[in-house]
Amino acid sequence: MTSIAVEHEHTVAGQAPPPRGLRRLIAAGYLRCLWTIPLMFGVGAGIMSLVRWLEGWHPVWDGTIVTTISLVTIPLGFLGGIGGFDYWLGYALGQPTKPDDHSGHGARSWRDYFRVNTDHKVIGLQYICTTFAFFIVGGLMALVFRAELAKPGMQIVDTQTFNGLVSVHATLMIFLFVIPVFAGIGNYVIPLMLGAPDMAFPRLNALSYWLLPIAGIMFAASLIVPGGPFATGWTSYAPLASHQPLGQVFFNMGVQWAGASSIMTALNFLVTIITMRAPGMTFWRMPLLVWANFTTSLLVVLATPFIAGSQFFVMFDRVMHTHFFDPAGGGYVLGYQHIFWFYSHPAVYIMMLPGFGIVSEVISTFSRKPIFGYRLMAFSLVAILILGFSVWAHHMFVAGMAPWLRVPMMVTTLLIAVPTGIKVFSWLATLWEGRIRFTTPMLFALGFVANFLIGGLSGVYLGSVPIDIHASDTYFIVAHIHYVLFGGSVMTIFAGLYYWFPKMTGRMYDERLGKIHFWSTLVFFNATFFPMHWLGLQGMPRRVADYEQRFGDLNMFITICSFFLGASALLFLYNMVTSWVRGPVAEANPWRAHSLEWQVSSPPPIFNFPAIPTVVGGPYEYGVEGARHAIMAEEGAGVYEEAPAEVPH
Amino acid sequence: MRRRSFVQLALLACVIAGAATAVAVAIPWLPVSAAKERDRIDVVYWLATGIAIMIFSIVVAAILFSVVRFRAHPDDDSDGPPIHGHTKLEIVWTAIPAGLVTAIAIVSAIVLHDNGIASGKDPLRVAVTAEQFTWSFRYLNGEAKGVVSPDLYLQVHRPVRLEITSKDVVHSFWVPEFGQKQDAVPGQVNPLVITPTKVTGLGRSYPIICTELCGLGHALMRRAAYVLTPAQFASWARTARGQAAPAPSPAPPSSSGGASAAGARVFAASGCSSCHTFTPAKATGTVGPDLDKLPAEARRAGQQLEPFVRESIVNPNAYVEPGFPKGVMPANFGTTLSKHDLDALVQYLVQGSKRAGT
Repeated sequence: MTSIAVEHEHTVAGQAPPPRGLRRLIAAGYLRCLWTIPLMFGVGAGIMSLVRWLEGWHPVWDGTIVTTISLVTIPLGFLGGIGGFDYWLGYALGQPTKPDDHSGHGARSWRDYFRVNTDHKVIGLQYICTTFAFFIVGGLMALVFRAELAKPGMQIVDTQTFNGLVSVHATLMIFLFVIPVFAGIGNYVIPLMLGAPDMAFPRLNALSYWLLPIAGIMFAASLIVPGGPFATGWTSYAPLASHQPLGQVFFNMGVQWAGASSIMTALNFLVTIITMRAPGMTFWRMPLLVWANFTTSLLVVLATPFIAGSQFFVMFDRVMHTHFFDPAGGGYVLGYQHIFWFYSHPAVYIMMLPGFGIVSEVISTFSRKPIFGYRLMAFSLVAILILGFSVWAHHMFVAGMAPWLRVPMMVTTLLIAVPTGIKVFSWLATLWEGRIRFTTPMLFALGFVANFLIGGLSGVYLGSVPIDIHASDTYFIVAHIHYVLFGGSVMTIFAGLYYWFPKMTGRMYDERLGKIHFWSTLVFFNATFFPMHWLGLQGMPRRVADYEQRFGDLNMFITICSFFLGASALLFLYNMVTSWVRGPVAEANPWRAHSLEWQVSSPPPIFNFPAIPTVVGGPYEYGVEGARHAIMAEEGAGVYEEAPAEVPH
Repeated sequence: MRRRSFVQLALLACVIAGAATAVAVAIPWLPVSAAKERDRIDVVYWLATGIAIMIFSIVVAAILFSVVRFRAHPDDDSDGPPIHGHTKLEIVWTAIPAGLVTAIAIVSAIVLHDNGIASGKDPLRVAVTAEQFTWSFRYLNGEAKGVVSPDLYLQVHRPVRLEITSKDVVHSFWVPEFGQKQDAVPGQVNPLVITPTKVTGLGRSYPIICTELCGLGHALMRRAAYVLTPAQFASWARTARGQAAPAPSPAPPSSSGGASAAGARVFAASGCSSCHTFTPAKATGTVGPDLDKLPAEARRAGQQLEPFVRESIVNPNAYVEPGFPKGVMPANFGTTLSKHDLDALVQYLVQGSKRAGT
């Protein structure tokens, strides 16, 4: 198990002196991008023009096609420039590889966070900061279209921009915030929780992070493309999407980069969790966050290729004049929806299961009690994983798919409420008779349970086909997904960031500000989204720039509350930034938690553990006399030496 | 002590359930029901609401109770009792929710089945075609056979089977008062059954709303559904069939009265009034430019009135009035309208706007 960790010594080598003069154009970094990006652009555009010239197609230089190809070649040039491929390219070219080369590992100054770095802690923070930047961008877009929706009629933006803002908002929040921020938290915490020095594939880990800003910039850049951004909603249904302005290609391709990033990270998590657990860390001793990331990663690896395929098909219909989704050419319109939702339903769990894991950690720690029904909690994650693949068509109850599919999909959809219910009841039972401490992460965890409950119950309404027929594609859906993704996922993200803030930064956040942030988020979140249930049932469809006069007052109220909700996010950012700079220094284990990440300094040393610890019990043994989760190497002499005996000879 | 906690918890849950029930009943969450199918949907809705209130109140009561009761004193560093689980309890909270969702599933499946059957005598059949950004309804049987209408006219208590398709992208047909919804998908025909139960007459209507994002005019893709008494329906059908009868010979273009009536009919049938204001047709839409002011708009475009009107119908993006978005007006009227209908429409708009403008 520990074979990977003991292959070579983990010493922090002194850094080579920075290159000077023209050599800076050759060394990995942003300067090298100055020529790698044009080079790759030229290669792509050149091959395209050559083919068109040889085939006799006019014009030889076609802007749409050049743009489409450049959305592949320019990012490759960028990745090559910053050094994302250096190690593998060197290996392929026969240069000697140095397994003990840690020059790009660990951060010594803030500059290292802007470079390719292989330390999972650096990558975790890169993920978290990047995703929050896109969270702000996506949130501001929401405020702009909420301002447009304050009154019936059109006041601020035109219809194309409105549809574009709605689409880019959802896309950024899903692909650039909720999914990757969980990958970021997992990246930071999971190797520590497992007692591992890093992820299994640190270079792949670095590469998967750098794909992310590419996707995000692509989505956001579609706003300035001639013809406007992609404006078909994040679901981007064909054939509407096949005949949209150029901005649509930015969605098709952005999804590929974000998806590739997800898949690589998920593979890394799976291999790390399977092979890099410390001695004694059996599957049944893993913290529930690790279980949650394990099941999430399985979902990502199995499902994400489907959305990649669906977007390629739409792009082929557009660029190559294929007919995947064009009925006039024998295409099957609903085929898009089936393939899209075969990913995008599991994606809902990709965006929720890691949150379940975070909440389990937080509730157990601050109730000072073992998590109630640990094994059933893990099994219910696995049940959601399996059922999650058999419910996709509940997004298509009114789509006109094969009628016989509706009842089976309804049954599986409703059944998924059972494992989810088990989790909620187990959290409640964990609270019961605990010694509850109301720190900010705990408040967010409890707020999550309450909000997610509402989202889950409205999900039961929507699971029932007849109710769904009335409510689908209305504001009821908008309310439901925000209760699940904001009231649910985002609350768990806040809980997790406050919880691990001392570990990640070595400093404490401002508890009073944190509590204000919680209460303002809880109140304005509910004030913003609860009335949307009524709007939807009464007859307001989703994704409309204009609506009936009679909904005006309530929409004005919602818009005002959404601005307060936006302001509450500023409180969070202020607290995080100022506390990171000058908050009081944090102890190694301020919450007196048992899991491994709290047994090392805050922030942890570059290779996490001076020597690999030995796990001797479960992670949540609060209140059990003399119970330990792990014995650290420095206190249990000889523990580390025993470990290699497990390695097969 | 433990028993007392559970009694207090149960009382708290009852209070919360009472409050939640008040919210569910006092606020009119659903629009008035005007179809048998909606009545059945409402049954499932209330069943789900009952179950939701039950679960909601238990969970929220448990959170609030724990928050108050199990709050640790600031300098209490002790741990809680090491309870790792309780198998019986875990079986209970697996089995009961499973039973409840099964109940919802069974009732839903029955309602779904019933809502798909056009029961009753002499059901109507109507072919529904969606396109960016309007609807057309072609009556396939009954008194109105052959009629093509931009709005939906139904007879009370007479089931209708809509056969829905689309010319371009995915749209969705929804009337909140009927509860039924169905996507319009190009390349396939999807059925939907509605049995209206409340008469609106011709003065009032229910909105037909497109609920699937279909492009720039999506929010405006709305038409009306009228529910008539049998007598009203028969009379409407007679009039509509009279109008729909093909002109026996090319209408003499010189007869301005005839052209104007034909133009008015094309104007109504093409759904122009949902977006445009035009006094001769009593249209008051504000989404697109005001057609009463066509002469002024033609001057701004630097064109003669008649060619301007014709071009704006056939190729609406050639000139777009300032303040209105490009690409909202359907661009396919050039292909969907016959030459004869287009001429009539142009004449109707030219003459009507000259009169309205003065």
